[in-house]
Amino acid sequence: MNRQLRQLTLVLMGLFVLLFAQLNVLQVARADRYADDPNNTVELARDQARARGRILTADGLVAAESFPVEDRFEFQRSYPLGDLFAHTVGSFSPFYGATGVENSHNDVLVGETSQQKLRNLGNLFSDKTLTGDVQTTLRADLQQVAREALGEREGSVAAIDPRTGAVLALWSWPSYDPNTVAGHDAAAAEAVRKALLADEAKPLLANAYQERYMPGSTFKIVTTTAALENGVPWDRAFEVERSYTPPDTTRAIFNYGQSACGGTFLQVFTVSCNTPFARLGNELGAEAMVAQTKKFGIGEPIPFDLPGPASSFFGDVGDFAQDAPRLAQSAFGQNAVSVVPLHLAMIAGSVANGGKMMQPYVVQATYDGDGTVLKQVKPSVWRTPMSAQTAATLTEGMVSVVQNGTARCCLQLASGQQAAAKTGTAALRDPDDPRGPLSHAWITAFAPAEAPKIAVAVMVKASPEVTAGVGGTVAGPVAQAVLDRALAVLP
Amino acid sequence: MSSNAPARARRRSELALMLMAGFITVGAYVLVAFGRTASLPADLTPFFGQLLLLLAVTHVATRRLARFADPTLVPLAVLLNGIGFVIIARLSKEFAIAQATWTLVGVGAFVLTLLLVRDVERLARNKWTMAVLGVGLLLLPFLPGIGRNINGSRIWIHLGSMSFQPGEAAKVVLAIFLAAYLAERRALLSVATWKVGPLRLPEPRHIGPLLGAWALSVAIMVGQKDLGSSVLFLALFVTLMWLATARLSYPAIAAVLFAGAAYAAYHFEFGQVFTRVQIWLDPWADAQGKGYQLVQSAFSFAAGGITGTGLGLGSPTRIPEVSNDFIFVAIAEELGLVGAAAVLIAFMLFVGSGMRVAVRSERVFSKLLAAGLTTIVGVQAFVIIGGVVRVVPLTGVTLPFVSRGGSSLLANYVLLALLVRISDASGRAEAALAAEADGSGR
Repeated sequence: MNRQLRQLTLVLMGLFVLLFAQLNVLQVARADRYADDPNNTVELARDQARARGRILTADGLVAAESFPVEDRFEFQRSYPLGDLFAHTVGSFSPFYGATGVENSHNDVLVGETSQQKLRNLGNLFSDKTLTGDVQTTLRADLQQVAREALGEREGSVAAIDPRTGAVLALWSWPSYDPNTVAGHDAAAAEAVRKALLADEAKPLLANAYQERYMPGSTFKIVTTTAALENGVPWDRAFEVERSYTPPDTTRAIFNYGQSACGGTFLQVFTVSCNTPFARLGNELGAEAMVAQTKKFGIGEPIPFDLPGPASSFFGDVGDFAQDAPRLAQSAFGQNAVSVVPLHLAMIAGSVANGGKMMQPYVVQATYDGDGTVLKQVKPSVWRTPMSAQTAATLTEGMVSVVQNGTARCCLQLASGQQAAAKTGTAALRDPDDPRGPLSHAWITAFAPAEAPKIAVAVMVKASPEVTAGVGGTVAGPVAQAVLDRALAVLP
Repeated sequence: MSSNAPARARRRSELALMLMAGFITVGAYVLVAFGRTASLPADLTPFFGQLLLLLAVTHVATRRLARFADPTLVPLAVLLNGIGFVIIARLSKEFAIAQATWTLVGVGAFVLTLLLVRDVERLARNKWTMAVLGVGLLLLPFLPGIGRNINGSRIWIHLGSMSFQPGEAAKVVLAIFLAAYLAERRALLSVATWKVGPLRLPEPRHIGPLLGAWALSVAIMVGQKDLGSSVLFLALFVTLMWLATARLSYPAIAAVLFAGAAYAAYHFEFGQVFTRVQIWLDPWADAQGKGYQLVQSAFSFAAGGITGTGLGLGSPTRIPEVSNDFIFVAIAEELGLVGAAAVLIAFMLFVGSGMRVAVRSERVFSKLLAAGLTTIVGVQAFVIIGGVVRVVPLTGVTLPFVSRGGSSLLANYVLLALLVRISDASGRAEAALAAEADGSGR
């Protein structure tokens, strides 16, 4: 029998070797394939049943926190401010993952950064929870004002501190309540998610920094910069004309309401005359224009500490070769030009900041569970699109817009301080389109003009109600509300 | 005196191995706490104390009652039990308490078995009692009142608040019967004079009772829808028949019959056979439904990689039944390929030691019983690990010593005690021979 016993042993050993081979297949050979499988929530699960730290606003409110519950996830994520910061602070769903700051700073929140792990080695013999907190630059008071002022019109408000790049408010409508997606009931969460994804207005997308829109006359800031930086004098005189026909076409470019306008550079900027800028576009040429847009960072994704920022678009030199009409239209923000609302705030910010465009950021600092600072963000310059001299000139122009021009109606500040602005009405349809006009309403502004503390961009998306007005009258009051409150609360 | 030297050496090795197993278990327990809460486990001292107590009790028992036994069997069982316990504690405090209690009971049963069974051959004389007892245990869940139908299979009984799976104990008891019967009728069964068509089988009166007992057991198991145990018992029967008679025709016929039965079960959608085979072939076809356990297991294996996610840092809790049938997945996820391979090696070593006990035994019954018990452990481990890694279709059997389950733990400790007893007997006989040789030689 011993021979059979030995043979049996070999067979049994063989079976175990077979198991070992299969383990290699599962844990090594196919590991990556399984890790990428859409059904795979292991990574999520790893962070599910763990405490997460808090996310705080600049004015001291808690935007996101966890509290213990009696289910398999052990902690429930809660958003006391509702939909106010859904697109920035983001949401954390145990089933669908994290967005916004919850995503970009996930490691800090669950205490997984190497710094935190190292610091917590010393806490081996005590009973501490390993989480970290994130301090944002966002202000709930400004965000709330932006929300109320914009109301239920699709659009966005972006407000930054031009001196540092800190984002003070970043609001997009429509928004959603992250509490609804953070629930622990898989069926309910799935239903909410389906509904949000099916919503045509795309509430999950942050208009303020993940979408780009035709900027209309607000783009004249860029064209003016290009002109000034390329030697066009500020006292240049432009013909008073009703229209301008670019080379290689017979279709004319008209001013707003087919009015005639012209005069000094300052004047045409103030009243937002189109024809001078169309002319400038063709005069400067594609190379100079494209080069200037690149200096503004147009065409690159905004270097942001939230996931998925969009990039503004102007075009390449090649796009404008043999297409002078396109260049002329692009010069005043029509045709294929599109700008991300946050980017426009940054553009205004560069004017406000002596020509330096600061890199935007939402997270000011991160902390360990016991309050020690892990990382403090240092402001940095992203681009220098213009000289300080040009910035000063543009400031003069934008102040004039508020004092005498298209923003006069709506940007007089409560504190009496001077605001500087540029309006825009981006025409999505040709003026002679039988369906009637359709345009986005824009405004970008900063205040106080002498020593700016805040730069803001407001966009209200085109709709029949919106198109009834123009950039200044529609978007202006929203910017005014935000600026008023900002100057009252900012140090 | 010199006859004691091998005994002392073995017990010394065993002590060293036990301490290592204990150390590994405590280390793992501490790591789980680090992984989950970044601090030492709150109940470290009582845990350590209980573990030491259990190690001491088992070691003293082998020293006193079976000092010639193989030194690796008990430490391997303790290691597997320890790793299993740590993982269960990581999964659920509630289950951990139950498992700890049953470990105590199991160790108690181990000692009791060593005390009561001084000579394994005496068990062989009660083979019919064993047969009846075994079938009786299998039938218990059918009794109204205490029997329960859980998850489609009727294998549990409830006594008050405790639930028990008598089938686990039945396997050991029936193994004793099979080994005893085969040992006695071995020669007769090797002779095949009864012609049934192209087959030549032993005389019906010899093979009859055996086949009858076996068929009855399998029928009961199938009736209970406990297919895993049916497969296991078939493997046991076939293995013992082959070992006893050295005739390959038995395994061959059994394989054919099994294939036929399996196909019929699949085709006629008996029990869960159809579903189990479907999800074995492609669990992704129903990734959120029936294939969920296997798909999530695949993800866990992948997440574990080579070194694992770390104890307490994986997410095995999302897999249903992870503390019993799928416990190997939790081990592979948190301890990686390295940890999972270590568990495989532990089982391989156990099988190797068990077979060595069989080889070293002189008497046929002891050989067959040792081989049979080892086969139960080895095949059961293969079947459940194979099921979760998708080498074979999934069946609901536990991983010996590792899985949560009081009945399984209890039965396996009794099994261990029998193996130790057989090993001790052969060790004693070898030492006596050596002493004689020494004595007569000088």
